[in-house]
Amino acid sequence: MSSLLARFAENIFWLARYLERAENLARIVEINKTYARDNPEGPDWKRILVLYGDTERFAERHEEADARSVLNFYILDRTNPGSIISCITNARENARSVRHLVSTEMWTHLNILRAKIAAFNARDIRPSNLSLTASTIISGCQTFEGIAEGTFFRSEPWSHYHLGKYLERADQTTRILDMGCDRLFIEEGDAVAWVHWNVMLRSVSGYHAFCACHPAATSPHDIADFLLYDADFPRAVVLCATRISERLRDIEVRYCRKRSKSVAVARSELEALLERRRSKKMTAKGLHLHLDRIQKSLAQLSDAIGQAYFNVGPAAG
Amino acid sequence: MTAAVDAPSGGLLSAYDAGEFYCELFGRRGLSHTREIRRRLEALDTAGLRMRARDAERELFNLGITFTVYSKREAIDRILPFDVIPRVLSKQDWEKIEAGVKQRVAAMNLFLHDIYHDEKILKDGVVPVDLVKGNAHYRPEMRDVDVPRGTYIHICGTDIVRDQKGEFCVLEDNGRTPSGVSYVIENRHLMMRTFPDLADGIAIADVDEYGARLMRTLRAVAPKGVSDPNVVLLSPGVFNSAYFEHVFLAREMGAPLVEGRDLVVEKDKVYMRTTAGLEPVHVIYRRINDDFLDPNTFRSDSAIGVAGLFTAYKKGNVTLANAVGTGVADDKAVYAYMPRIIRYYLGEDPVIANVETNICREPEGLAKTLDQLDQLVTKPVGEAGGYGVVIGPKASAKELTGLRNKLKRNPSNYISQPVVQLSVCPTLVGRSVEPRHVDLRPFALTGDQTWVLPGGLSRVALRRGSLVVNSSRGGGSKDTWVLV
Repeated sequence: MSSLLARFAENIFWLARYLERAENLARIVEINKTYARDNPEGPDWKRILVLYGDTERFAERHEEADARSVLNFYILDRTNPGSIISCITNARENARSVRHLVSTEMWTHLNILRAKIAAFNARDIRPSNLSLTASTIISGCQTFEGIAEGTFFRSEPWSHYHLGKYLERADQTTRILDMGCDRLFIEEGDAVAWVHWNVMLRSVSGYHAFCACHPAATSPHDIADFLLYDADFPRAVVLCATRISERLRDIEVRYCRKRSKSVAVARSELEALLERRRSKKMTAKGLHLHLDRIQKSLAQLSDAIGQAYFNVGPAAG
Repeated sequence: MTAAVDAPSGGLLSAYDAGEFYCELFGRRGLSHTREIRRRLEALDTAGLRMRARDAERELFNLGITFTVYSKREAIDRILPFDVIPRVLSKQDWEKIEAGVKQRVAAMNLFLHDIYHDEKILKDGVVPVDLVKGNAHYRPEMRDVDVPRGTYIHICGTDIVRDQKGEFCVLEDNGRTPSGVSYVIENRHLMMRTFPDLADGIAIADVDEYGARLMRTLRAVAPKGVSDPNVVLLSPGVFNSAYFEHVFLAREMGAPLVEGRDLVVEKDKVYMRTTAGLEPVHVIYRRINDDFLDPNTFRSDSAIGVAGLFTAYKKGNVTLANAVGTGVADDKAVYAYMPRIIRYYLGEDPVIANVETNICREPEGLAKTLDQLDQLVTKPVGEAGGYGVVIGPKASAKELTGLRNKLKRNPSNYISQPVVQLSVCPTLVGRSVEPRHVDLRPFALTGDQTWVLPGGLSRVALRRGSLVVNSSRGGGSKDTWVLV
């Protein structure tokens, strides 16, 4: 079994995470804009800040959270490590470190994507151009995914790539879902609420699949269930968790890496949180808290993976 | 001589005139081995050539074949300018270069072994003792250290130029961590993608096997008793300007690209930190200077080295390529003695001559240099990348006065040479094809024997009249074709 440098495993893990994060940020920006279509006051951009826990960091730089400042913060701002341009740049820097492990096509696409996004300016985040900008980012990240699927050698690095991707995707799906939480109280059949949930479904490319599986759905709770527990929906949290478990098993069994107790504990905690339970009985607050617990559990699992596979041997120096 | 000799008028090369210089494509009277290539070039116009050049440039950016320049605000990616008109070497040209490079590498390895062991060449008075022992790159720590197969310089880059008469001569040896080989291979790939019709049906020596050859070379020098060695490439990291090359070579070799922080020495053995724990490392192709290798032995402030590495090396538990202390052989002052070094160890005359060199540490050399300062090229012996080089005929009076003072203060730091009128190659400059000076850096690999990659890096000085080809000083590169 050829060995994989611990640092490379970490680079690959983060390469995947950053790209997944950039794609989901673009999805969230896009849905927030669409949500506001029937709100005379326009989109409430503070929601995104709350969603990512960025309110304080944002306030250090900007006085007012309006469309221009928030979109700049999340798309163009190179000094914000959480912006899309920073994510793509970090993905590229991580790829640079493992350039010899990823395919030339992956690397080339990332260079082109980064150059494209680095060229975005204030014009590209105007309301009229925002959808196009978001879809450019989303399809750029998806193209990378496709190239990786078709060219990335299926050895240990691939497992770490998947771990990063699915951990991030699961986390982001809970955040997208959280965007709708405060609307859950609206009575069933409420037309406005229903529109909002449909927007959310479309933003995760899940509308048609949901309609096909749940032709008689009447409650936003069904949508929450779909995003959390549908084992066939590619962005559902439970599907991500399953992939994570499979890859961890590969790392332990196929690549014979030491079994980590803390990874096993974190993994079973996550699985326990995702045991099929209907969100129907949940209040909005209940769902929000549940999503919060899932996010914490994902973070714990991520830390445990880092400790087990990325920090190896005696301390340097 | 002009290109008009056997070129139809109106073509790409019709206005090209190499003047008094030797031209790599035309020679003096229209070289026969380049006739077909010239014919094909003639069939293009500059617009067509410019389009190809733009495609090639975009490809370099997309492939990330870049080095990064860091400013305060951000990192800017730059490419090494690539010229689409290849530099062509005949079979005879190449046979001479190959033999000459092999001879030099053999002599340098014998020289290094000798100066770190019996010092015969010093005792016989062929090379001055203080030139070796007073050299900044001489490593007393290497005394009596035996390296596998007696190879010190596993990877060598020899800078060769062609003078006005068309004769090859060696300008410099690079026996520490020569760079540029990745461009040799990438330039070929780029050329074949953007200009496949130019090479169609012409037999050109392949350059693709370099990575595999390098791996074989490094495996051949593994410590005794290790049958299946782990080979790694040690890089200073992503901020190094040659990082692209480190990545490239690691990929081509199929070896892990490590940094100092990935390695650890325990009980004088070297290990790398992997997802499975610590794994042994047997051969390190290091792209880090001696100074920074091991903070315990050399510079204690090195953050990119590995503590304890040198002791592991000295005990023979790990092989470093190139060996520690090779800088003394590629020193610009020792260079002047290379013809004598070759005769001393091999009993042969140099296949490729040196450029005549005045050694300023010697009174007559200094006198001659001071006397003809405005006609000579004066070089500090300890600098790389063309830094500090003063080309007499092009220098201002003020520069010459400054140099004169420095020479008097510290003569040992300088050598001088007559200006070699480097050969030229047709090069796309703006909207026209003009002669630009080129050099050649072939790469030689030595494990149990020496192999030279056919061709090498042709660097081209893009500024009109400039003789400085270094990438840090406005140089570009060309694909180099060895015809077979």
